[in-house]
Amino acid sequence: MRLIHLFVIGVLLAAAAYVYQIKFDATLQAERLAKLRNDIRRERDAIATLRAEWAKLSNPGRIQGLAQRHLALQPLDVTQIDTLENLPARAPQTILPDIEDPIAAIIENEPDLPTGSASPAAGGMR
Amino acid sequence: MTRSSAAPAALHGAAGLIGRLLYGANVDRAAKARARIGLAIVVFSLVYGVIAARLLLYGLAADPAATRRSTASDAVATARPDILDRNGEVLATDVRTPSLFAEPRKIIDVDEAVELLTATLPDLDARELRERLSSRRGFIWLRREITSRQQADIHRLGIPGIGFLNENKRVYPNGAVVSHVIGHVNIDNQGIAGIEKWLDGRGLADLHLAGLATDRLQKPVELSIDLRVQHALREELLAARERYKVKVAAAGLVTDVRSGEVVAMVSVPDYDPNDPRQALDETRLNRLTTGVFELGSTFKALTVAMALDSGKATLSSTFDARAPLRYGRFEINDYHAQRRILSLPEVFTYSSNIGTARMALGQGIEAHKAFLRKMGQLERLRTELPESAEPLVPKNWAELNTVTIAFGHGIAVAPLQAVMAVGALMNGGRLIPPTFLKRSEAEAATLAKAVIKPETSMRMRYLMRLNAEKGSARRVDVPGYYVGGKTGTAEKVVNGHYSKTRLLTTFMAVLPSDEPRYLITIILDEPQPTPETKGFATSGWNAAPTAGRVVERIAPLLGLAPRFDLPPADRQILAVTSAIR
Repeated sequence: MRLIHLFVIGVLLAAAAYVYQIKFDATLQAERLAKLRNDIRRERDAIATLRAEWAKLSNPGRIQGLAQRHLALQPLDVTQIDTLENLPARAPQTILPDIEDPIAAIIENEPDLPTGSASPAAGGMR
Repeated sequence: MTRSSAAPAALHGAAGLIGRLLYGANVDRAAKARARIGLAIVVFSLVYGVIAARLLLYGLAADPAATRRSTASDAVATARPDILDRNGEVLATDVRTPSLFAEPRKIIDVDEAVELLTATLPDLDARELRERLSSRRGFIWLRREITSRQQADIHRLGIPGIGFLNENKRVYPNGAVVSHVIGHVNIDNQGIAGIEKWLDGRGLADLHLAGLATDRLQKPVELSIDLRVQHALREELLAARERYKVKVAAAGLVTDVRSGEVVAMVSVPDYDPNDPRQALDETRLNRLTTGVFELGSTFKALTVAMALDSGKATLSSTFDARAPLRYGRFEINDYHAQRRILSLPEVFTYSSNIGTARMALGQGIEAHKAFLRKMGQLERLRTELPESAEPLVPKNWAELNTVTIAFGHGIAVAPLQAVMAVGALMNGGRLIPPTFLKRSEAEAATLAKAVIKPETSMRMRYLMRLNAEKGSARRVDVPGYYVGGKTGTAEKVVNGHYSKTRLLTTFMAVLPSDEPRYLITIILDEPQPTPETKGFATSGWNAAPTAGRVVERIAPLLGLAPRFDLPPADRQILAVTSAIR
């Protein structure tokens, strides 16, 4: 019987200590949580303020005014818009970067290239 | 023994046994004590078990009040959701600003407080301030929305009974550009016009009352407005006001005919929603939704569509416009009088009053009325914007009314309403209620109501295009975009008579005419003749070129590629009509 009493008293003390610790921890966490929430809200407010400021600075009227004052750009004309299909085909890549005499290489690679000198074949044609 | 009598007997036996153990005279004292302690242990552990279980439940369901401690200096005026344009640009947002208040009962030295406060905020009236601080009230606002600099200064003065509360202030970074669409709020952050009021009507007001809408976590509202288009339209309208010496107002509207979205809506003069007092000025009201106008010849598009859709007229029908149409003491005349028999496309391109009047008479009064009702022209059009106006429709609709309404006189509608109807003529015959909120084409399809045949819509498109090539709308034709359009010049009623000099010119441009995406509407209220317009003040000389300039600016913004290989409209008309036959 006495053993049980001692045991129960021991458990009681341990439980009290444990509960106190949990309570203390919880308070600490709650405070941290509140602080973080507060911080988050303050950051959100700051973001909102900055976004509002950015929207004000980047609004089309202001940008247009700045562009007219400082840039030589003009409004887009309809004729300046075109589609990719209408672009001329890309010129063949004839100049290779690591060749000593690029011009000679072009002439050699492109048999149809008109040059001033008469090649044997061209001479034969005439 | 039966089963039913066995159970009570056993229960009785068990209870008897426990009772005997606890109270029985013939039981050993030690055994009795043990039994009693045992009972106590059972009862206590039950009680503690309940407590533990309850604690566990509390632990699992977190108590919101304990974790969301808001500081006392926060949130008087409640938060509102941000308003964004269709590309996510901010149109309205909340910014937290401090406000200055006083608790007069707690102020010790009123004179000192007044002196210090007026030194920091020089625009406070010293006498009024002293009076208010001397009152015995618990709480008074001294100044709403001060800067953080002023807050720091006043804080440093250390006056007892003076404090700050953080409030949400609504800011509109784009100023007047989108004013009529978003509206504005009062000092307590309650919406009192435009989309802001609509937001409150949607339950935000109830949240405010419950004190719940204090956080910034509300979902932003996405509008159908494109800020860039809105800006371009507003600039062109302001320029047009100058150029054509517009006396009263200029308004413009860009709508997506496929989804019913309003991409831009401007009515100048407008106001800066950051300074709501300007909104009280009557000249600054939004003419596109709150005003009703006789729109003149733009209405002819509806008459022509009605005639084509009924099947009673075709593109090759002819109408006698040799002589003015007489109705009692009234005489209907043409502005661009041709004095000959006109074909249906000619009636449209010469904007012949006589021709359209005959067309409407051919339909009959009842059919005309039914058609306009179907097109939503006879009832008030409601959108998200709280401001709307009832159309003015004749009470006793006689033949003469049909004659004048055929060319847009004698009925006054809100321009947005007419835009909805013309949009339906262009988009394949589906009447879609306009909206200021982002909407997909699929959503629009569920709201759409088929009002005319798709073939009629095709013919109307090419009539519009023909008008821009050869008719009264030549000055809108921006090469590459295949623009079509209809002019409208209405004489305003002054003292009960139509005035020859006070005009309301309208223009509706469709872009591009072969498969319409956008409808652009320009309205100029009382433009004056200028040297540039060669002394004319009709729509083709002012509203049409304005629309042309708008098209040129906004088409690249809206992602429309110019095309230069499209055939002229009369060939398209031939192709369409033969295809349908």
